[in-house]
Amino acid sequence: MPPERYALPVRYDSNGDPIIRMRGITKTFRSAAGEATVLKGVDVDILPGQFVSVVGRSGSGKSTLVNMITGIDRPTSGSVEIGGQNILHMPESDMAVWRGRHLGIVFQFFQLLPMLTLIENVMLPMDFCNMYPPAMREERALGLLTRVGLDDFAYKLPGAVAGGQQQSAAVARALANDPPILIADEPTGNLDSVTAEQVMEIFEELAALGKTILFVTHDRTLALRTNRRLLISDGELVNETLVAAFPDASHSLLLRLSKGAQPLDLPPGADLPPGSSAHIYLVEAGWLEVGSGPQPVVIAAGDGLDAPAVSGAVRAGDEGAKLLSLPADLVEPLLPAEPVFAEAGRSLRWFRLGRRQG
Amino acid sequence: MIRPRWHKIFSDLLSHKGRSLLIIASIATGLFAIGMITTSYVILAEDIRSGYRAVNPPNIQLFTTFFDRDYLNRIRKIDGVRQAEGVWNTNLQIRNTAGEWEPITVKASDYGRMGAKEMGQPHVLEGIWPPDEKQIALDINRLSDAGAKLGDTVEIKLPSGVIRRMPVVGIVRDQTIGSSRTEGGFFLAGIQGYTNIDTLRWLGQPEGYNTLYVRVETEDQENKPAIRAVADRLIDDFDKNGYPVNGFITHLSSEHPNLPYVDAMAAVIYLLGFLVVFLSGFLITNTFSALLNQQVEQIGVMKTVGGSRGQIVAMYMVLILVFSLIALAVAIPLSNKAAYMLLEYISVHINFQVIELRFVPASSILQTIVALLVPQLAGIIPILQGTRISVREALSGAASNQNETTGFMYRLLAKFRGFSRPILISLRNTFRRRGRLALTLITLMLGGATFIATFNVRNSISSYIDRLGRYFLADVNLTLDRPYRLERVAADVMQVQGVAMVEGWNGAFASVVTEDGKAGETVQVVAPPKDSKLIEPILLRGRWLMPDDRNAITLSELFLESYPEIDVGDTLRLKIGMDESDWEIVGLFQFAGRSSGLFAYVNYDDLARETGMQGKSTSFRIVASDTTLDLAGQKELASRVEAHLSSLNYKIKDVGTGLSLGDKTSQGLSVLTTFLLIMSLLMASVGSIGLAGTMSLNVMERTHEIGVMRAIGGSNRAIITIVLVEGIAIGLISWLLASLVALPISKQLADIMFQIIFDRSADVVFTLSGNFIWLGIVLVLSTLAGSAPAFNASRLTIREVLAYE
Repeated sequence: MPPERYALPVRYDSNGDPIIRMRGITKTFRSAAGEATVLKGVDVDILPGQFVSVVGRSGSGKSTLVNMITGIDRPTSGSVEIGGQNILHMPESDMAVWRGRHLGIVFQFFQLLPMLTLIENVMLPMDFCNMYPPAMREERALGLLTRVGLDDFAYKLPGAVAGGQQQSAAVARALANDPPILIADEPTGNLDSVTAEQVMEIFEELAALGKTILFVTHDRTLALRTNRRLLISDGELVNETLVAAFPDASHSLLLRLSKGAQPLDLPPGADLPPGSSAHIYLVEAGWLEVGSGPQPVVIAAGDGLDAPAVSGAVRAGDEGAKLLSLPADLVEPLLPAEPVFAEAGRSLRWFRLGRRQG
Repeated sequence: MIRPRWHKIFSDLLSHKGRSLLIIASIATGLFAIGMITTSYVILAEDIRSGYRAVNPPNIQLFTTFFDRDYLNRIRKIDGVRQAEGVWNTNLQIRNTAGEWEPITVKASDYGRMGAKEMGQPHVLEGIWPPDEKQIALDINRLSDAGAKLGDTVEIKLPSGVIRRMPVVGIVRDQTIGSSRTEGGFFLAGIQGYTNIDTLRWLGQPEGYNTLYVRVETEDQENKPAIRAVADRLIDDFDKNGYPVNGFITHLSSEHPNLPYVDAMAAVIYLLGFLVVFLSGFLITNTFSALLNQQVEQIGVMKTVGGSRGQIVAMYMVLILVFSLIALAVAIPLSNKAAYMLLEYISVHINFQVIELRFVPASSILQTIVALLVPQLAGIIPILQGTRISVREALSGAASNQNETTGFMYRLLAKFRGFSRPILISLRNTFRRRGRLALTLITLMLGGATFIATFNVRNSISSYIDRLGRYFLADVNLTLDRPYRLERVAADVMQVQGVAMVEGWNGAFASVVTEDGKAGETVQVVAPPKDSKLIEPILLRGRWLMPDDRNAITLSELFLESYPEIDVGDTLRLKIGMDESDWEIVGLFQFAGRSSGLFAYVNYDDLARETGMQGKSTSFRIVASDTTLDLAGQKELASRVEAHLSSLNYKIKDVGTGLSLGDKTSQGLSVLTTFLLIMSLLMASVGSIGLAGTMSLNVMERTHEIGVMRAIGGSNRAIITIVLVEGIAIGLISWLLASLVALPISKQLADIMFQIIFDRSADVVFTLSGNFIWLGIVLVLSTLAGSAPAFNASRLTIREVLAYE
C-alpha cells in the first residue's frame, strides 16, 4: 500500500499565533425549565505547547468550554478556531474525523470500548481516521501502551485491568493519531491519588514533549502543576493574572475582581498617572521604575493606607508595563498581613500608591 | 391528581416513543401472526365445509353411458333419494386467444328448470345463471387458459370438426370440480363450461344424461354408510334397467373435493401457529429484558425512596399490560384483514367460497389470552431479575453490563486479530447480549428454516410429480372420439414428421366388486400394450405386468386405504361395463395418493378382451423422435398430429402434451407451497421484527459507546457500518442455523404434505435455492433492521450520549 493513502499526523506552524482561539463564546441551554446560559462571552487564546488547566466549580461551565473546543458541543454564539480553522461549520460526521486527527480526548470515566482489547482500543482511532498503514498500527499502538506502562496488558479487555490502567490506556488512545492537542476532562477524577499521580506524570511528560494540553480538573494541586490556569466561574473566564496572584481567593471574589479590574497599559518610560489609594495595582507584564531606578515594590499591608506604599514617581520600564487597577476594598482581605517585598525579576507584583512619607 | 407511580408508567410509555412503539410492534406482530393464523384456520375449516354444503353438492355421482329424462324421474322415487339430476358431461375443444384448441369439459343439464336448487350450483361471479340454449358459462378456474371473458363469443370444436360459436353469459365458480375423482382431481381439470341441456343436439351430443347426481335425505347427508346404501340401490336399479354403471363416487355434503389440501394447510397452520406463539413469546421476552435493563437505575431510585419490590413489580406489570392492550387493539383488526386476504387467495386456488369476512371470536379470544398472558410471562423474569438487584448495584450501573464481555464466544472473538477494529466491534457486539442474541437467533432461525423448508417441500413435490410423469412418458396424448384400429392409427401418425413411435392404449372405468357382491369404488383401469416403453412405475410391492401375464393387475397405493387387507397374490373382482371378471394382483405401485382416484394397470389385451376393443383404441400415446422436446415442441408436434389426422377425417376428441400434465399438477399444487411460503414469510417477519428490535435495543444501550467512537474519530459511515455489520452478522448466523434446522423441518413439512396429498411419506429432495434466496432476504432484512438504528446512531451528538454537565 502506498503510504500516501494514509493521513499524516497534523502539524501546526503557528508562528506565535494561538493554536486555539475562542472569541465571544456564549452557550445557552434551553429546557422546559427555561434558559440557562452556561458560558457568557468567553475569550481564550492557547498557544502551542501550553499545558493549561481549566478549573472551576462543578457546573461552572468548564466542561462546556472544553466541549466547544472538541466540537462535542457548539456555542450559541462566538467562534472557535483551531490551528487557524473555524471548526463550527463542520458537519457532525466530518467533525468526528477532524477531531480524531487533531485532538486526543481523555474522559473522566475512561470510555474504553469494552469489547475491544486495550491495544485494539488504541488502534481504533487510526482505523477510523485511516492514519498510518494498517501493518504499522499494532506496532504503534503497542509503543504507545508501552509509553504509558501497559505493554503487559495490551491484549487484555478493559474489564480485566484496573481503573488507572484503563485511564492510561485512554491516554494512549488519545495519542494514537499523534494529535497536536490533548483534551482531558477530569482525567484523574475517578482515580485514587496514587494512580492519579501516575496519570498526571504522563501528561507532564507529554507537555514537556510539546503537546498542547487542556486539562479540566477540580484538583487545585494538580492545576498548579500546569503552566497556565483558566478559571471558569459562573460561565465567565477569570483574569489569569488574578488567579495566579490570589490562589486562595474564592472563585466568586476572583470573578468580581476580574469584572472590576481596569487594564492600564503604560508605554516604556511613561509615568503612572496620579492615582488613588482606593486602587491596588497589579503588574501583569513588564517592569515599573519607582523614583530613579528599579526598586522593590512595597505591598500594602494590614489595614492599608498607612502602611508602606510606593511613593514617588512610578513609570514603566524599558518594555512598558501592563497593569490591572483593582478596587482596594475587594483586594484588601486577600493581601498578606505583613508587608511583602516582591522579588526583583518577577513579573507579577502588586502595590498601592501611597502618600509620600514625611 | 394521578398517583406518581402511575404517572411514571404513562411517562415511560409516552416519553420514549420509539421504544414504546418497538415494544408495541413486537407484541402486535406476535398477536397479528396468531390472529391471522387462527382466523384463517377457523374460516378455512368452516367455510370449506359450510360453503360446500351450501351449493347442494351431490352425495352420489354415478357414471354411465346414457339415460333419459323418464329414467331420471323414476330414479327420483328410489328410497333415500331426496334429489336427483342428470348431467351430460362431454369433452370438446375451445379455441383460446392464441388460436390454439384447448380441451373443455362441457356439462349440460336442466339448469333452472328443476324446481329446486340444482346440485353443485356454481356461484355466479359475473353475468347470469343459468345459461340459456346455445349459451355457455365458464368456470373461473382455468378461464385464463381459454382467454375468454364475459360477453365474448367462444368457438367450440366438436369431434366432427364442426365449430360452434357460443356467447359467454356467465363466469362462475363450481366447487364440485374434481369431486368425481376420475378426472385427475381439481388440479388436472381443464376448462369447464356449462350449458343448457337443449344445446346438446346442436353440439352433436345425444339429448340425455351420462352422469347422475343424487342427494340423499337431509339427515343422511353426513352419513357415509347411509349414502352408500342409497348408491347400492341406484346401482341395482341401473343394472336392472340395463344401464351400465361405469363408476360411482360418494361424498358427504360437507366433503369438498379439495378438503385434503385444506387439511394439509390446516396441519401446517396448526404447526406454525404453535411456533408463532413461541416466537412471539421470545420476541416479547427480549424486548422486556431490554426495557428493564434500561430501567435499572430508576428501579434503584424507587427503592431508595421506599418502593417495595412488590410495588415496583406491579408497576412494570401494569406497564406491560398497557403495551399489550395497545398491541391487541392494533393486531385484531389487522390480523382479521390479513387472514381474509390470505383466504381470498387460497379460496381462488383451492376452489372454495369464503362466505364472508367476519369476526372470529375464537381468534380474538386467543389473541386476548396471549396478549394478557405471554407478555406478562415473558416480562416477569426480567422484571423479577431487574427488581431483585440491590440499590447500590442499580445506581452504580454495575448490573446492566455484567457478563457482557465474559462469554466463551466473546473470549473466542477477542482472539480474532485479522479484522479492522470497527468490524471487530460489530462482531463482538453481536455476542455481548447472549440471551438476547439467542432469542433473536431462534426467532429468525425458525422463520428462515421454514422458508428454506418451503423450497425443499416444493422441490420434493415437484420431483415427485416429475416422477409421476413417468407413468405418462409420451410426448403427445391423442384421444379419438371413437375407437379406431391400432395399426391404422399408428401408420397414419407415423407419417407425421418427428414421430418416432405410437402406442395404442386402452382404458375403462370399472367398479370393485366387494365380497357381498356389491359394487365398490370406481377404478380407472389403464391398459398399456404389453411391451410398452412409456411407463416407469414406482413399485411398492410385488412386480409390474409381464407380457405373458393373463388377467394380471397392478393397483395404486390408494387401494390400501380403501381395502387395507388387499395384497399381492389376492384376486380382485372388477365389474367392467356389465360384466364381472377376476384379476390377479401382481403388484402395488405408488401413484398420486388422494390426489387421484383408484388406478389400476392391466395388459392391453386383457382389457380389450373385456371391453370388446381388441385391436382398437381411442387413446394413443405418441413419442417424438427428438427426445429433448420441451412443452412448446410437444405442442407443435401435437398440432401437426391433429392437423394430419383431421385431414384424414379422424374424429379427434383431444390432443394433449405429455409435459402439460405435470405442469398443470405443479401449478395446481403450487398453491400449497405458496401458502407455505406466506406462512414462512409471516414467521420471517416476526423474526425480522425481532432482529429490528434487538438492533434498536442494542443501539439504545450503546449510545454511550457510540459517543465515544464519535469522540475519537468515528464518522457517520463508520458508526453506520458498525451497527449494520452487527445486524448482518446476526442475520448470517441465523441463516447458517436456519440452513441446518431446515433439514428436519423440511422432512416434517414434506411428510405432512405428502401424507395428505400423495398418501405416503416424503422423499425430500433438497435444493439450495431456498437457502440462497433466504440468504438474500436475511441480508436485506438484517440491513433494513439495522439501518434505522444505525441512522439514529449516526445522528447522536456526543454531548447527548456522554451526557456532560
